[in-house]
Amino acid sequence: MTGLLDRLRLRAPAALVPLGAVLVALLIGAGIMIAAGVDPLRGYDAMIRGAVSVSNIDYAVASFTAILAMSLAFAIPARMGEYNLGGDGQLVLGGIAAAVVALYLPVPAVLLLPACLLAGALGGAALASVSAPLSTRAGVPVIITTLLLSAPAVAFTSYLVRFPLAEQGSPVPQTPRLPDAAHLPSFPGTSYTNAGLVVVLLVLVLAVYIDGRTPVGYEIRVAGANRGFAAYGGLSVPRLTLGTLAAAGAVAGLAGAIIVMSQPFRFIDDALTAPGYTFAGVAAALLAGGRPALLPLTSVLFTILTVGSAGMERDVDVPRQLGQVLQAVVILVLALRVLAFRWTARRARGAVGGKV
Amino acid sequence: MDIFSLAFVAAVLASSAPVLYAALGGALCGRAGLFNIALEGQLLWGAFSAVTVSWWTGSAWAGVAAAVVTTTLFSGILALGAVTWRADPIIVAIGMNLLALGLTGFLLRELLDATGTFAPAGLDGLPDLSFLDGVPLLGPLLARQTVLVPLAVLLAVAASLWLYRTSAGLRLRGVGEHPEAATSLGVPVSRYQNATALLAGALCGLGGAQLSLGNVTAFTENMTAGRGWVAVAAVMLAANRPLVVLGACLLFGAAEAWGFRLQGLGLPQQLTDAAPYLVTLLVLVASRLRVRRRLGAADPVAAVSAAHPETVVHPEESR
Amino acid sequence: MTDLPPGDAGPAAGDPPPAAELRGITKRFGPVVAVDDVDLVLERGTVHAVVGENGAGKSTLMSVLYGLHRPDAGSVLRGGRELRLRSPLDAIAAGLGMVHQHFRLFGSLTVAENVVYRAEPGRFGIYDRRAAERRVAELSERFGLAVDPTARVDTLPLGVRQRVEILKALHRQAEVLILDEPTAVLTPGEVDGLFAVLRTMAAQGTTVALVTHKVREVLDATDRVTVLRDGAVTARLRTADTTAGEIVQAMIGRGLQPAVNPRDAVRTETVLEVDDLRLAAGPGAARVLGVSLRVHAGEVVGVAGVSGNGQREVVETVVGLRSPDSGAVRLHGRDLAGLGVRERRDLGIAYVPEDRPGVGTAASLSVAENLALGHHRTPPIGSRGRLSPRAMRAQAADLVRRLGVRTAGVSAPLRSLSGGNAQKVVLARELHHEAPLLVVEQPTQGVDVGAGEEIHRLLLEYRARGGAVLLVSYEISELRALADRVLVMLDGGVTADLDAADATEDVLGAAMVHAARPAVAP
Repeated sequence: MTGLLDRLRLRAPAALVPLGAVLVALLIGAGIMIAAGVDPLRGYDAMIRGAVSVSNIDYAVASFTAILAMSLAFAIPARMGEYNLGGDGQLVLGGIAAAVVALYLPVPAVLLLPACLLAGALGGAALASVSAPLSTRAGVPVIITTLLLSAPAVAFTSYLVRFPLAEQGSPVPQTPRLPDAAHLPSFPGTSYTNAGLVVVLLVLVLAVYIDGRTPVGYEIRVAGANRGFAAYGGLSVPRLTLGTLAAAGAVAGLAGAIIVMSQPFRFIDDALTAPGYTFAGVAAALLAGGRPALLPLTSVLFTILTVGSAGMERDVDVPRQLGQVLQAVVILVLALRVLAFRWTARRARGAVGGKV
Repeated sequence: MDIFSLAFVAAVLASSAPVLYAALGGALCGRAGLFNIALEGQLLWGAFSAVTVSWWTGSAWAGVAAAVVTTTLFSGILALGAVTWRADPIIVAIGMNLLALGLTGFLLRELLDATGTFAPAGLDGLPDLSFLDGVPLLGPLLARQTVLVPLAVLLAVAASLWLYRTSAGLRLRGVGEHPEAATSLGVPVSRYQNATALLAGALCGLGGAQLSLGNVTAFTENMTAGRGWVAVAAVMLAANRPLVVLGACLLFGAAEAWGFRLQGLGLPQQLTDAAPYLVTLLVLVASRLRVRRRLGAADPVAAVSAAHPETVVHPEESR
Repeated sequence: MTDLPPGDAGPAAGDPPPAAELRGITKRFGPVVAVDDVDLVLERGTVHAVVGENGAGKSTLMSVLYGLHRPDAGSVLRGGRELRLRSPLDAIAAGLGMVHQHFRLFGSLTVAENVVYRAEPGRFGIYDRRAAERRVAELSERFGLAVDPTARVDTLPLGVRQRVEILKALHRQAEVLILDEPTAVLTPGEVDGLFAVLRTMAAQGTTVALVTHKVREVLDATDRVTVLRDGAVTARLRTADTTAGEIVQAMIGRGLQPAVNPRDAVRTETVLEVDDLRLAAGPGAARVLGVSLRVHAGEVVGVAGVSGNGQREVVETVVGLRSPDSGAVRLHGRDLAGLGVRERRDLGIAYVPEDRPGVGTAASLSVAENLALGHHRTPPIGSRGRLSPRAMRAQAADLVRRLGVRTAGVSAPLRSLSGGNAQKVVLARELHHEAPLLVVEQPTQGVDVGAGEEIHRLLLEYRARGGAVLLVSYEISELRALADRVLVMLDGGVTADLDAADATEDVLGAAMVHAARPAVAP
């Protein structure tokens, strides 16, 4: 019991920073809306309705699925101190892999659904994994390689969907419609939200468990805290790097597959990247402070921001990019959380009357 | 495809210029020990403000000036957040890049009443150097460029001279290498870091202006399209050395210009899109591998940490 | 409390003012009082030792003198006039110079660039390289500090780097030179050389303040001694009139109770065997030229030598962090070639590294998490793929209690611990393995005398339980107290392999500088 109280007492200030960040963002957003001649209360109301009203909630929950997955894609390697900014590339590779399997591989209908999901995960994992040896063997930071690999991956899928895999006769760059067996079953009354949500939630539970309750999770956290310490302790940092990146890519690829296997059941060029799931996911992960258990909560916030801004644009004519602006402000304020940590450490040192 | 023609070199110069401005800024920050990966956002912001002010005032030069001023202010976020408040410069940069993307998109709608692209007739772009027409060598290379292009190259050379030949440059080199040592001799580390952060902002303002008023005369949402990240890679490749940064950026420019040529020959546009990144990545990896091999049976513990870019290093609060 | 021994009543009216003086200095860091109402007088032309154990406040006090910290109370005077020090810049302008314990040098810059940094010759902002190099040559001639002005500092050995540090101060016309633990990185011969330079400087009118915890050096090299304990002055002495015992008493409030190896019979089982280890020099790595050694169960084998002579590389090779070019490492007779750190730890090697903050701990993780590394895959913490945070905290609480680690709780971040307590955490974790072989580097570095004695006792208890200990230390006294055998490493090779009884200060000192083996009775 004392252990728990100990930890809560020492961690409490850190909880204020995320809340503060959201508050500051909302205030700044209100300021921008006023400058644009819009009543902020109406604006935020429109934003929330844009996400959770009866006509929009279906689409919002589907977006939540993607954003939650992308937040995991950033959070998992972030636990180790690596920044995966290549989510877009991993997302689209996963999507195209699922589309290819659904459309062209002779898989029995019964197995098609899991096969497509698996293909999506593998596609994303393959791309992300490239960054691991580049980091451990060549010393090129993951943040750079994931980014530099992302654009070519997106360009590659764009090419595929416009040429070899294109649906003939369609003005839109998209693949043909996926066969029914590859459609994720939706819930009664919904069309966008579907079993993909369940899949992602299961993955989240798995991630939370691994992070907190397995030796591997501990090793990842140690490597994130101090690599030299990890190597000294006999941990294989290259293996951990590969594992976390592959897992991150797999989750992102899975998200891509889920999107493609949902309404309208095609891979459409730009459709996976345009909504901005990747960076919404990054913001959600940062807001959660790397704690996997908080990801659903923070993902909800950013889903509202992302999806709601479109509604806000419709209703009160405020450009939807305001959502991005608010995301950015949250991230910037969160960057200051380091101040809270320093304060915590100093308090703890004081508690011991610690002299060197 | 005549890669040795002056016309091709001219195309390379034009492509490289915006990246070069950003990379120079990044390299100087790196010298001060400040890891600046907000170059993408700063370039985009520069591009947007250049077009906006040029449209409002009818003068491209006013646009350039505005780009420099506003981007410098924008870079203040990094200075304040990462230097003064000692937050993680990577996270601050991610926030800044996203902010620039969102804010430029937002203002494009609100201020310029446009979506996607803003390219009105009558938008004043930067003039080229057509007075050089007919001059041997310089003519074919520069006559179709704005003055910001050769200026970028000159700044790279100037930065190199300044870094290695002046006292201030010496002090900057010390600041990034060992901030504690610099502090103990009375060199204000934070001031140097702030200065380079703001200078990088100014340079990105120039680079962005070149992009939106020089290379083309328009603003498109997200028009920087990853150039800021190529600049980061160039800085890393060059280990913060200005002249090597120049070389790395020319390489990128060559990849892009070559890609356009290939497009003209019928190859898909997506290849052009992908080429600069892949080339940059390959060169970066190859150069790092070479360095690794030179280190031989390297200290595995240090090697494992080597992939971690230097973040802002602050002098320890000694007890 | 200020105990002025009779006959040392301080400056009388009419005497010239002291070169530097600290009056009533108090400095707090948060709730901790590092320096408590301290007065210090530095007379011109003297070498004045400021002594205390780690954490006594002597470094902080000197930092105040040098303008690195603003005192909460009190004043700094130079030549009788009060100074307002906003930064080291003001101190330098007032004729103060400081050589820090951890050098503040720029590795990639040359000696000349380092010496003139922030005081560069040249006009209009241009740096005049040749003038700088000339100045360095001039100063090194005058004070007997030989250096190559054009050499890159990161290519120089530590003893030479220290000379660069001193030249930096001299270039800025320092009349009061503060040296913070200068002999940590020097061989006994180099220490003599340094003291000779200091005496020359003092004779020429420079005032030297020597911060140290080495009582021996105080007696050898200084004129006056001021002793600090827990931030306050406990003694002001004339070196000529005092003894080591008196100084130690003032430092720690009691006599030393050192832990000493009983040197009872050693078991015959060979645990560690290193056979003709060779490693070429590389960037950041010293060479190793055919090192062989053996450690038996229940034995402490010490490795002496100044830092940078290959000890670290030998240790890293044994532990698995580095591969040798040739030679073998065997544990209980089994060749460890090709095995990584993890496998070697599983086979029975525990390791307390020299670089505690960089490699031995993770500052942002909790004490419990730090204590668990290496134990996290075995019961009770890790079992069958599951990890129990509660078991982790329980183990941590147990270890903290047993070793007397002062902490706010096992969930407190490690960075909240003092140096000595952090070192105890590392030791606790490694000792808990009860591994057949324990490799230890610098076990008491940055640790106060009290904790240091406890750590020595822990190591000897480990030895008594049958553990084999490979102990690398730069402190000859530590090795002489703890080891059964002592090896000396110089420039990658072993220059002496002695029984503890034969390992006197002189023999060890000689072996640390000479390649020839001193004649030793087997």
